[in-house]
Parts: sequence; structure tokens; C-alpha cells
Amino acid sequence: MQIINRSKLPPAEKSELQLGYIRLTDAAPLIVAKEQGLFAQLGLDVTLRREVSWANLRDKIAVGTLDAAQMLAPLPLATALGIGGMRADMVTGLALSLNGNAITVSAALAECLQLLGAAPEKSAASSAHALRKWLQEDSRSLTLASSHSFSCHTIQLRWWLRSAGIDPDRDLKIIVLPPEQMVDSLARGVIDGFCVGEPWNSIAVQHGIGAVQASGYQVCNNMIEKVLGVTQHWHNHHPATHLRLRIALMLACQWLAEEDNRLLAADLLARPEYLDLPVHQLRPSLSGDFQYSKHSGLIKLPHFHVFGRFQAGFPWRSTAESLLAECNKMLGRRATIEETRALVQQTYRTDLYREAARYLGMAYPEHDYLPDSAHSTAWEMAPGVELGPNERL
Amino acid sequence: MVLDDTGERAAMVEISLAAAGFKVVSVLSSASGLLHQIEQHRPDVIVIDLESPDRDVLESLTIVSHHNPTPIVMFSERDDPDFIAAAIDSGVTVYQNDALDPNLVKTVVQVAMRQFQSFNMLRQELLQTRTELEDRKLVERAKALLAKHRAIDQQNAYSLIRKLSMNSNKTIVDISRTVVATLGDMDS
Repeated sequence: MQIINRSKLPPAEKSELQLGYIRLTDAAPLIVAKEQGLFAQLGLDVTLRREVSWANLRDKIAVGTLDAAQMLAPLPLATALGIGGMRADMVTGLALSLNGNAITVSAALAECLQLLGAAPEKSAASSAHALRKWLQEDSRSLTLASSHSFSCHTIQLRWWLRSAGIDPDRDLKIIVLPPEQMVDSLARGVIDGFCVGEPWNSIAVQHGIGAVQASGYQVCNNMIEKVLGVTQHWHNHHPATHLRLRIALMLACQWLAEEDNRLLAADLLARPEYLDLPVHQLRPSLSGDFQYSKHSGLIKLPHFHVFGRFQAGFPWRSTAESLLAECNKMLGRRATIEETRALVQQTYRTDLYREAARYLGMAYPEHDYLPDSAHSTAWEMAPGVELGPNERL
Repeated sequence: MVLDDTGERAAMVEISLAAAGFKVVSVLSSASGLLHQIEQHRPDVIVIDLESPDRDVLESLTIVSHHNPTPIVMFSERDDPDFIAAAIDSGVTVYQNDALDPNLVKTVVQVAMRQFQSFNMLRQELLQTRTELEDRKLVERAKALLAKHRAIDQQNAYSLIRKLSMNSNKTIVDISRTVVATLGDMDS
């Protein structure tokens, strides 16, 4: 791994930091940075705090109990708008991961969908269309859960439903549940399905409680998932600390990009002080040997989580604009183009990403907005700037 | 409305809110059925444990406006940030009807905060007592092991532990832990 010459970096304003995360597999960059000594290498003494809800994490950031945290990609924008909870101007200069979610329905519903033509391993559209047929034939109402109102989970779930002409507001009910309650609620029949991050899909699959109908990747290839969030106020007072934090996490993401390290990461995450779960529940999504249902074979999904590849860390402003547009649509909120642009520019800080990338000698995109063109394979945007496929269902 | 999965604390909050002249319409231990409860009771203020995993659920209900004709916000923009920070530090969060008198809400928060703080203190004391008890057991075990292995009496074993503690600048509990870890293994 790259050795960082700390003397080139401006001195950190603060070295003891509290970082928040949620009990999900894609908290990996934070845990890896801690356990591989990357924070320490950058002169940071980081304590990781597992939080029980996104609301909790946001509030602790807003009042300064936490210095920084892993956040859902839309959350810094929603927090800046003060939707649903405490308001604070937020900044992100680093995306932590792409993909990582899946849509799972109960084993019983999955059987019905299969009879109606669902073949989710091959096509997420087939399972969405099967669900539409099921909704037309069955008079029972359907409830699906997402882990947060303003999350890529909700957005992906709505896109998946819409791809088959299902109206997510009229044809069924979408509720919010904490990730940890998803599998149990599915088993008890409180909900019929959910869209959530790992390992909660794999846990449902391994117990035969649910079967995956679409991976997040199938719904939208290489969609941003989690970011590193801090308040604007904190960033203004700790720019050098923030830089070191981003560098440490970028190194962790590079480490996680190596296939050989993924199983080691699963071992780290499994520990009682982190996710406190059996390692076999964390392996499927990290290794990419994924299973859609208990009795189906393993399929190779190397991009189930993307860390450190395809410019995964770059906080595209075009992505932020589309996340914000989706949130506004859900809220029935109108925003002018100028308003949206201003909020995105203030929150998604591409300049901060480039600053850290320069210290690491990494290539980075020169543009803040991704050109609107679909790619079915990995492609080179500029020399050394490789981007992943970006097709949407 | 009070939402707290720690039953004792919820009861404490309910009693003191009632004593302060507020009517607690409902005390819930989890967010299941929360929407129904909100529609039924139409609470002006919801007091919820900061560490409740159900806060995202509650916020999702406050966002979906067709369920709630009156907007429910977390604290109020009018409250001062120090007050909010203090509430959060004590573990209290509050969602309120935005049209409500902020001073009234502040009183509710203060009452809840006091109860949360005294509950946390009680829990801290309990934890302390438990740790002290465990420490004492550890020292006793170390004494017994050392006495057996060195063929000395318990009094001398304790003196030895104390000497080791002073020489190494470690606590008696730390030394006892090391003794139990090394000698305990040989024993079993």
C-alpha cells in the first residue's frame, strides 16, 4: 500500500475524531481505515461510533458530537434543506461506495412471481413485470419497506416499480423501517418486501425468508451509495483534518478495490465491536459470490459493492442533482434550477475530492457533471479516468 | 406522546410530564403502529429517545404530508442551538407541531431531559457498582491462585500483588487480571 509522506500535508487542526457509521456492509471503508492503521498513518486518532439510525447520525453531526460520518448520498442534501429533521449546511468531498443494495421479497411472494415469469438473476425487469401482473391479479394490498425516505434504496425501489408501470404512490405502500428490523418484519409478514443494503438481503436469503428480485446494480449500474459527510461549519474550521480524513478513506477504498482483500474485510466487519454478525452473512456481497435465493446457485456479481474503482469516490454534481430531483419529486416540492445548482455546489464538493486525489497522485475527472450518455461497459473518460457502466432499468 | 423502549424511563417521563401539567396521550415502546397512534391521538409533541432505532420511521411519517395535515418538525428553528445540543446530549429528541408555542415545547423538553439525565445517572451508578463487585472478585481469585502456586498464605499473596502494582505503576485490578490470565490457564 501507498505510504503517505505526512510532512507534505498541512497539520491537522484536530487529531482525535469521532466518526459515525450504520451497521451495514458498506461501512467497510471506515472500519478498514481504522483496522489497517490508515487513520493512524495520517496522524488521526479515530473512534468509530455505531449509530442506530440515520436521524441519530445526522443530529450528532449537526450538534458536533460526531466530527464526520458515513451518510446516505442524498442525506447531506436533505439535511441542508432541513427535511424531516434538524437542519445544517453539509459538505461531502468523497463518495465512499457505489451500489450495495438489493430488492428482496418474501419467499412466498417470490414463488408467485416466478410463476408469473420472474427470472431476477437474468433480468430485474422480469421480476418487476411479474410483480405488476401479481398486483393486477391479486386483490391483497402490498407493503414494501425502504430504510430511509431520502435514500438510494427508496429511489431504486421506485425506479424498479416504475420500470414495469407500477405507480409506487398508488399501487402499493412504501414504508420506512430500520435495516435491522427488515428481515424479522418480512418473516412476520408485516411487509412483503424491502430494498436495503447488505448484509440484510443475504441474511433473508440464507434463512429462506426472502428471495432477491433485483440488485441495486441491475436497477442502475454503479449508482452512488454512501458519502463522507461533515457540516460546512466543521469543514471550515478543520480543512486540513478533513483532507487527512479523505486521504485515509481513499486509501481504504483502494485496499477494498483489491478482490483478495474482500474476505479479510468481511472478517474485520464481522467482529463484535463492528457489525457483530456471522462472517458468512457478510461474505456474499463482499466476495461477489452472491445468492438470490436459498436454493439457487451462486452467481458472480463482482460489482455488488464498488469501492475505489470507476472513480467511485468522485462526488459528481450531476449525480447530486438527480438525487435532489428525486427527493423533490417524492416531497412534491418545487425547486428552481438555480436553487438546485446552488445547493449542490455548496454540498457536493468536487474540488475537495481533487485536492485529496492530487496528494495521492490519482487521476480524477476534470468535469463536475457527467455527460448524459449510457455505457454498457467500462469506459475511459480521459487518460486514467475509467468509469463503470451506467445503464438504468 | 412518549416513545421509548426503556419502560422504566418512559414511566418516569410520563409521571413528571403529568406533574408539570401536560397530558401524555400515549406511551409507546416501539414505532410499530405509530402511524395509527399519531392519527388517533394527534399529539402536539412527540418525545422520543435519541437512541431509538425508530427515529427514521417517525421522520418518514412526518414527511408524508397527507398523513399529517399539521407539519411536525424536529425541535423548532426558533430554539437556540445550545439548548438543542444539551437535549441531544441527554438523549432526548422532540418532534412537535410547528404551530405550537415554543416556550411550551421547551418546558416539555426540560422535563424530559431531567428524567433522562437522572435515569442515565442511575444506570451509571449501577454499572459502577457492578464493575466494583467484579473487580473485587477478580482480586480475590488472583490472591487464591497466587497463594496456591507460591504456597504462601492469602495475606502474603495480596502483599505481593500490591508490590507488583506499585513497582509496575499499574492498578491492583490490572495486576490481578494478569495473574488470573497466566495462572488461571495453568490451572485449567
